[in-house]
Amino acid sequence: MTRARHEAQALDAAMVEALARLVGYPPLGAETAARIAAGASHAVAAVRAMATHSLFDAEPGQYLTELERLADPPP
Amino acid sequence: MIDPAGATLVEAAGALVRGELSSEELTRDCLARAHRLNPALNCFLRIEDEAALAAARRADAARAAGRPLGVLHGVPLAVKDMFYDAARETSSGSAIRRGFVGTTTAATLERLKLAGAVVLGALNMTEFALGPTGHNPFYGACHNPWNPAHIAGGSSSGSGAAVAARIVYGALGSDTGGSIRLPAAANGILGLKPTYGRVPRSGAMPLSWSIDHVGPLARTAPDLARLLGVLAGHDPGDPTASRRPVPDYEAALGAGVAGLRLGIPGNFFLDDVEPAIAALVEDALAVLERAGARRVAVTVPAAEHLTELGRTVVYTEAAALHGHWLRTRPEDYSPQVRARVATGVAIPAAAYAEALQLRALLLREFCTEVFSACDVLVTPALAIEVPTLAATDVGGSASMWTTIARLLKCVAPFNYLGVPALSVPVGFAPGGLPAALQLIGRPFAEGRLLGVAAAYQRATDWHERRPPLG
Repeated sequence: MTRARHEAQALDAAMVEALARLVGYPPLGAETAARIAAGASHAVAAVRAMATHSLFDAEPGQYLTELERLADPPP
Repeated sequence: MIDPAGATLVEAAGALVRGELSSEELTRDCLARAHRLNPALNCFLRIEDEAALAAARRADAARAAGRPLGVLHGVPLAVKDMFYDAARETSSGSAIRRGFVGTTTAATLERLKLAGAVVLGALNMTEFALGPTGHNPFYGACHNPWNPAHIAGGSSSGSGAAVAARIVYGALGSDTGGSIRLPAAANGILGLKPTYGRVPRSGAMPLSWSIDHVGPLARTAPDLARLLGVLAGHDPGDPTASRRPVPDYEAALGAGVAGLRLGIPGNFFLDDVEPAIAALVEDALAVLERAGARRVAVTVPAAEHLTELGRTVVYTEAAALHGHWLRTRPEDYSPQVRARVATGVAIPAAAYAEALQLRALLLREFCTEVFSACDVLVTPALAIEVPTLAATDVGGSASMWTTIARLLKCVAPFNYLGVPALSVPVGFAPGGLPAALQLIGRPFAEGRLLGVAAAYQRATDWHERRPPLG
């Protein structure tokens, strides 16, 4: 199996139903679970594509500071 | 004497100050339009005649007593039905929250009232603000006043339609993936997603606490500047609200665009814009060039990934917010919204955390690369002509999902980054529906965006056109 094929199949409807059971959701149904599998796969693929280096020192709370820092000085 | 249906917010406020008419007269006029047009538009979930007229009378009495309330004194507005009000229902466009009354009032709604605004009622929206078209299975779809067969955009669908139809002078909306800018674009008005933290979110229905933005919709740049000046500023109830001083946005409107560098993205945003929209965007850029701006080419880093990075965060936080109801009341969601809020169950926690870690890094990269080359980034707000309700309904055309993806393509990336983005109407596509430009700025550069929009509106008259249902 190629790596791309392996990644494309990383999440399927059955796995989504299993995760839903784990957190206590009633059954989602095959169509909804398949849609969720596709949506989650796309989202996580973007994270994987952008996380190309260590984030060991990246603190999410820096985001608000960064917004202020990147602004023009107040008038 | 002003024509109430033709006046802008600033003009109406001025007429009230001069005593040319009373707030009660103006409010009655707006209420009459609301009752006449709402059967066709379905932009209001509730028209609150008695409360609005009582507020108008209080405004008139305060003025008679020499106690002006503020810069919106006596001006009729309306709010998306997701801003909690301790005095009335807030449904969030859902069945689950039908009849819900908040324990507090949203900071933004409180600020509008303190500034003297008269709230006419609660505006239609997509269920739990999750969807870009304005369909709603519980309360009915909102219709576009330029052609009711077409979408009003979402999720702030009623906000866009009610302002465009001249029922109210401005409206409050929220934007987690384009939900202010899309309805503004689809209805031919202005809509501003401010910088994350500029306008407080406390008391607004949460969809994703990291990505939600609250902002105004109005017909002109001066109207929007006035509303933003009221809404912006620190709020102790919102830990993410900025303490940065609020500038005088109305003073920034006359800055003009001479020498301003407009960044035209060479990647992603213009890849598949419909020719009619591309032509209108080109015309708008030419207007700004004649006013003194110049174009420069820019590349937007990571553009193709920003929307999905944002969705990683939104899906996860929405699943957490809706977890209890997903376990106990799944049948009370529409199937589409249930699937959207449940998607977070399949996002690994590590991916969510990484998406949040990446945010500051990608914001820095975006600002460094884009704003070293230009002052304002420009894209279409909508890459396609405003579609019909039928074409975007569940089970509609085979291309429905493609159409919905194209609706979001240009607007959603900027929610993840959190930079300000403003949708500005720039004319009409061959089908008669509006088209719009999107202006994106540095964090907290709302004044600059409003200045560009004001310069454009001084040179054009699109904002003076009235829709057939208006």
